[in-house]
Amino acid sequence: MTRADLSALFPILILALGSTGVLLLGAWWPRRSRLVLLGTAIALAAAAAAAFHTPPVAEITRMYGAGPFARFFTALWSLTAAITLLLSVRYAHERRFAGGEYTALILFAAAGMALLSSATSLVGFFLGLEAFTLVLYILIAFHKDDPQGAEAGLKYLVLGAVATGFLAFGIALVYTSSGTFHLPEAMAGIASGAQMRPIGLLGWGMLLVVIGFKVSLVPFHLWTPDVYQGSPAPVTGILSTGSKGAVFAALITVLAGMPARGDLAPLLWALAALSMVFGTLAALNQENIKRMLAYSSVVHMGYTLLALLAGGASGNRAVALYLVAYSVANLGAFGVIASLSGPKGEPQNLDDFHGIGWRFPFRCAVLAVFLFSLAGIPPTIGFVGKFAIFRAAIEAGYGWLAVLGILASLVSLYYYLRVIVYMFMTYECEVEHARGGASEHTALAICLAATLALGMFPGPLLDLIGLIIP
Amino acid sequence: MNLDSFPWLSSLIVLPMAAAALCLLLRHHPRVSRWIALVTTLAILVTAVGLFVTGGGQGGWLRYEDHPWIIPFGIRYTLGLDGISLLLVLLTALTQLLAIVISWRRKYQVAIFFSMLLFMEGGIMGVFLALDLFLFYLFWEVMLIPMFFLIGVWGHERRVYAAVKFFIFTMAGSLLMLLAIIALYLLHGQQTGEYTFALAALQQTDIPGAIEPWLYAAFLLAFVVKVPLVPLHTWLPDAHTEAPTAGSLDLAGLLLKTGLYGLIRIAFPLFPEMAQASFPLLAVLALTGIFYAAWIAYAQHDLKRLIAYSSVAHVGFMVLGFCAWDAIAMEGSVLQMFNHGITTGALFIMAGMIQHRAETRDLGQLGGLWGRVPILSFFFLFFSLASLGLPGLNNFAGEILILLGVFRVNPLWGALALGGVVFAAAYMLRAVQGVIWGPPGPMKHAECWVDLEPREMLVLVPLALLVLWLGLYPEPFLAPIREPVQRLLGGTSLLALKGGMP
Repeated sequence: MTRADLSALFPILILALGSTGVLLLGAWWPRRSRLVLLGTAIALAAAAAAAFHTPPVAEITRMYGAGPFARFFTALWSLTAAITLLLSVRYAHERRFAGGEYTALILFAAAGMALLSSATSLVGFFLGLEAFTLVLYILIAFHKDDPQGAEAGLKYLVLGAVATGFLAFGIALVYTSSGTFHLPEAMAGIASGAQMRPIGLLGWGMLLVVIGFKVSLVPFHLWTPDVYQGSPAPVTGILSTGSKGAVFAALITVLAGMPARGDLAPLLWALAALSMVFGTLAALNQENIKRMLAYSSVVHMGYTLLALLAGGASGNRAVALYLVAYSVANLGAFGVIASLSGPKGEPQNLDDFHGIGWRFPFRCAVLAVFLFSLAGIPPTIGFVGKFAIFRAAIEAGYGWLAVLGILASLVSLYYYLRVIVYMFMTYECEVEHARGGASEHTALAICLAATLALGMFPGPLLDLIGLIIP
Repeated sequence: MNLDSFPWLSSLIVLPMAAAALCLLLRHHPRVSRWIALVTTLAILVTAVGLFVTGGGQGGWLRYEDHPWIIPFGIRYTLGLDGISLLLVLLTALTQLLAIVISWRRKYQVAIFFSMLLFMEGGIMGVFLALDLFLFYLFWEVMLIPMFFLIGVWGHERRVYAAVKFFIFTMAGSLLMLLAIIALYLLHGQQTGEYTFALAALQQTDIPGAIEPWLYAAFLLAFVVKVPLVPLHTWLPDAHTEAPTAGSLDLAGLLLKTGLYGLIRIAFPLFPEMAQASFPLLAVLALTGIFYAAWIAYAQHDLKRLIAYSSVAHVGFMVLGFCAWDAIAMEGSVLQMFNHGITTGALFIMAGMIQHRAETRDLGQLGGLWGRVPILSFFFLFFSLASLGLPGLNNFAGEILILLGVFRVNPLWGALALGGVVFAAAYMLRAVQGVIWGPPGPMKHAECWVDLEPREMLVLVPLALLVLWLGLYPEPFLAPIREPVQRLLGGTSLLALKGGMP
């Protein structure tokens, strides 16, 4: 590894070294709750480095990209981590996990996500994915006194371990068939007419299972509601946005070099359709908001897959745009839940939201905006994202899938509106909610500003995405 | 400053939105926000009247604004005002001012309530002015949100049910329209290489025969749900009944008009042949609506529900007027859009006033109001007569034009529609009978009722004068719509003429 490679890895090094530093500092420093803010600063520094530091090489040791694409997602996941940390300050303090460990793990997860999004080789893919998955196992179960958290962590761990097995085996098969780990070449190696094509396709199919599991596409989504419900709200935030988005970003690279796309199209079609339909139906009668958002995330991943399936410049750009849209709104939604939760627990059930809209007007209105964005109603970024997806889908000839998506998003209105109805249109209940701290309000304000400003003036973001996906 | 270069159209949208945001911030100061709302809506009405009086402008448009907006997608911020939109802008400005005045005494979350009204005003103005389909769609959806809250937060007993039903019904149509808009945009882009949402450009698109009916159906669905045409009307009585008075006023006066406006501004011009083919179907549905809604209205016990169903019957007339595709009928329909906003709005306001006093809207419990509150009863009778189409009052002017035009084109439709007028008389007279004549019902605190207060007079007297003006001398309102209607019917609509506009 040359100095140029290291320079290209600079943003991720900030995250990784910063994570280690925070961990060490946490062992000695008495005022440990400040460490969360330090972590935020580190994540922001990484994002800034990714945005403004032009790397001298295009690829690092044929494993990770260093181009605009990689830097864009590195910045995005660093920012996600920063917002997650901002949302955690009070939450972590009240639950006594304010030490360095929590911060370090979040930073490390961001590093893994950034690595995964920039992977250009199967090894890089594997390392990136495992780097943050391992961290997430711990983070999900971080609240030791919460039995649901432990259960969720275990559930994710067991299934995740199986997924890792599939991943390793799939990579082995693809490698066998093509003789290389480098993604474009490996995928070209299973082009039609290639000798080992069936094995390569089988390998790719196994990779698809792992991807389906990680981003919770139906029928690999079964873990999602339990894990979402059991994890601490800020962790659910990064779990639902960063860890899924990073996989999708990697998929853009994977599929770009995939000549066998035609063979897999029916499979992707079915996964997208199933996710949109079943996710929507399952979300309809959830009484728990985190579970509702879990199923809704299944639907959103279905949309994203639809854009990915459409492919081409407009499809891939739609994926990137939608990842931003979904991340902002979803982080915000879990952020509101985190900010409302007191030492005794999180408000998760709809009953906890009875009429609180008038007691906490700002945060509830903000949550309403995020839900409108998830439902794809203008003038939010969610609408622009959905618009881009449907545009790409119709352009690529997936009109019926787009109609299915529209119907899903129509039904989805019901469960998003339901939360808003509970907050603003029923009488107040006697549930204790926290007032939230300054850092949480800052994070929510950032998400809100992004949701609305990018919804009304998406031009600059679209230009940027056009730049990274030419 | 040059008054002609001032972005008057944008100000119609931005001013209420900004005032809405201000009201949200001042939510602990209900008095201040009330005055902000009043002053803003008054300023907008003045602007609208100013536009009405001065008219004039460039090309076929009285006013026109165009700026690039989301460049990567070819989306522009294009607003245009012609005679048809002018009438509706005027109606919006007037209705919203009334909505603010009649809600003056509201107690619960006042600032937010006014903010929602203002927010909706901005959205509806946008719908009536946008000439870029993306922009149109944006406003089309945005205006649903405040209405959802108005019904859901400040409505009556079953408000949540009505609010959610309203939202989902209208979204169902619009989302398919979104797909159709995108498909149209891509088709146009593939044919010309220029990706744009400009209505004028999209009209030139050559749509393959196989998908044209689908695209048209998607647009049609979005608009007729909002109109609402039978059998897609079921959201309306619920929404009207449960909404607070200002919400009912906005629904009847404005939201229904957005659907009708969409038909003549967007759906028909984009798909002229398809539109022609669909007229018989639409006419049958419209006629069905006229009779069916009249019948149902007659059977209602709830005053607001009765008026709501009367709206369904009235929009049936307007759609029938469109279907005749005849200049006189079309002018009548557009004028009737304005008229209906005035009379039905007035009736909803009065239903609110009666409910405020009697604490009921049940026709079985009301009655004999003439003896107690004669002035209120007089106004109720007056607006009811206007609504049933008494000559000399506003609805007659619109209806007679529609009927004349329809007779010219299809005497059978005309004859049937004429029967509908009789039905209208039946249910309106039943309402009048139930409310102001007959023996007094068992109403609460009836002995200490007050007749109309000055604030209420302030609302009703101008409306009554407008009703008379429109009934006796509708020409000033017909003049601006004559040319746009001609262009619409001539195939080369106003939009095509603006095709060369930068």
